[in-house]
Amino acid sequence: MIKEIYRSVFRGDPVSTDKGKTELVFYNLWLHIHPAKVRKEHLKLHHTWYLGFIAFYLLVILCVTGVALMFYYHPHTTVAYKDMKDLTYVVFLGQFLRNMHRWAAHGMIIVVFLHLCRVFFTASYKTPRQFNWVIGVFLFLLTMGLSFTGYLLPWDQLAYWAITVGTNIASYVPIVGSEVRLLLLGGHIIGDQALLRFYVLHVLLLPGLLIALTMVHLWRVHKDGGLSRPLWKLDGGADATREIAMPAGQEKTYGLMQIITGKPIFEMLTPAEEADTVFSYPYAFYREGVAFLLTMASVMAISLFWNAPLEALANPAKTPNPAKAPWYFLGLQEVVSYSAIIGGVIVPALLVMALLAIPYIDRNPSRRLKDRRLIITAFTLLVIANIVLIIIGTYFRGEGWSWVWPWMDRAGGGH
Amino acid sequence: MDRRQFFTCSTSGMALLFITGATAVGALVRFLYPGVYDEPPQRLKIGYPGDFAFGPTFLAEEKIYVFRDDTKGFSAASAVCPHLGCTVQYVGNDRQFSCPCHGSVFDATGKALYGPASRPLEWLEVTLAKDGQLQVDGGRKVPDSYSLRVQASS
Repeated sequence: MIKEIYRSVFRGDPVSTDKGKTELVFYNLWLHIHPAKVRKEHLKLHHTWYLGFIAFYLLVILCVTGVALMFYYHPHTTVAYKDMKDLTYVVFLGQFLRNMHRWAAHGMIIVVFLHLCRVFFTASYKTPRQFNWVIGVFLFLLTMGLSFTGYLLPWDQLAYWAITVGTNIASYVPIVGSEVRLLLLGGHIIGDQALLRFYVLHVLLLPGLLIALTMVHLWRVHKDGGLSRPLWKLDGGADATREIAMPAGQEKTYGLMQIITGKPIFEMLTPAEEADTVFSYPYAFYREGVAFLLTMASVMAISLFWNAPLEALANPAKTPNPAKAPWYFLGLQEVVSYSAIIGGVIVPALLVMALLAIPYIDRNPSRRLKDRRLIITAFTLLVIANIVLIIIGTYFRGEGWSWVWPWMDRAGGGH
Repeated sequence: MDRRQFFTCSTSGMALLFITGATAVGALVRFLYPGVYDEPPQRLKIGYPGDFAFGPTFLAEEKIYVFRDDTKGFSAASAVCPHLGCTVQYVGNDRQFSCPCHGSVFDATGKALYGPASRPLEWLEVTLAKDGQLQVDGGRKVPDSYSLRVQASS
């Protein structure tokens, strides 16, 4: 009887057979995003560093902890802060779950950014993955947007003033800026309407969009030949500098698209390459499981020792001094402290447009670092500049945004 | 269906699709504008002239500085920094306003001295209500030279 139930759930052959290992992937809704077999190179830590997986796992943690927090949170200015206090002091595991949510959110921004850098440095955005890079940039922006909208929800001083600064930056956008701010806040002040709108954006619209785009992102990775890998190291020779679709061997079954068009739309394996592959079960799944466990354990460990900040109740009459944006926006805030239109509109718009355009303006077919010195240098300088500005904003800015040395006593602090 | 009919149909279809889509997007955007703003009124009664001491008085809730001068009378400045909306502080010794967020500094007339703020602080119209209270209208901007002379009881 038990065996019959098991067989009704897992309908493929036993996984001790090659056919069973293949069917485990093909017959499973969750696993079929994987190929049945993966290249050995995909399993190695270096090159990808599993950053895409870790970002996805952090998203899972955020969704689960976020739904848990929703059971106790009301998006209303009179009770939102009280709910945070309840979560902190009254609700069983409330503080821990909130900690996990906050640190996983920060972690996701870091990991998605590192993932973007990895994809850039390994030139994995080149043919045929240009558009997947564009989707990735939008995923990065959505991650930032989710973090920003989540910032207001605790309704503490940190929340109120970060959103005051952030939404006023939006109003500098020419022509539509003030209308965008009005629509975002649902009024002219940050109050109940703003809190409700940020809540809807944070728990429904942006996560929905993020999950939908993540699915497209993963699907395209799958269709473009699986995870990125250092072709120039594996195959050598000038022909291997681009990730190109390889013709299938005569003995292989062709994909439907190939029969129709005569051209493979995704990478096919030659018999020699076939020998360099292993089944996804167990090799890839075990490694992904370990990456998930390590991600989960790290978030839990951090949440055990460091509490998510909660400042005093939002007070529109009293601006904290200094009033700092979330740390990942401090680089922009540093530029904003010189000019709002440059730091708040022109620089971010140019950065986003440059990121989106990279795969289309970089015509260099080579993926080797030494062949891409100019673009690598430009990108690295931008990354370093942003990191330096964030460090300055976090540690070197005190009252009235004046310069302070971090080892001297100072009032206020970063977030 | 000949070629002319095909182009007519397809063009009409696309036009209809575009009009429907644009109407739907426009209606959705209009929907997002609240019909009523549940916000405090911009015209506020702030108290009787005699309630105010000479010099600056900060009304925290309203984010307004009210100045009482023995010769000029009453004037009111918005404490909202024109840079990014933080609340400026008046430093009496320096007769300056300073913003805690990005370090903008304004002189006593509200003119931006240095920092990222490119616009001056806003001065608001002060009038006398029928019941004798001072009234500040956040929606009516006035020059920094504006003031209201009142025969106050103290």
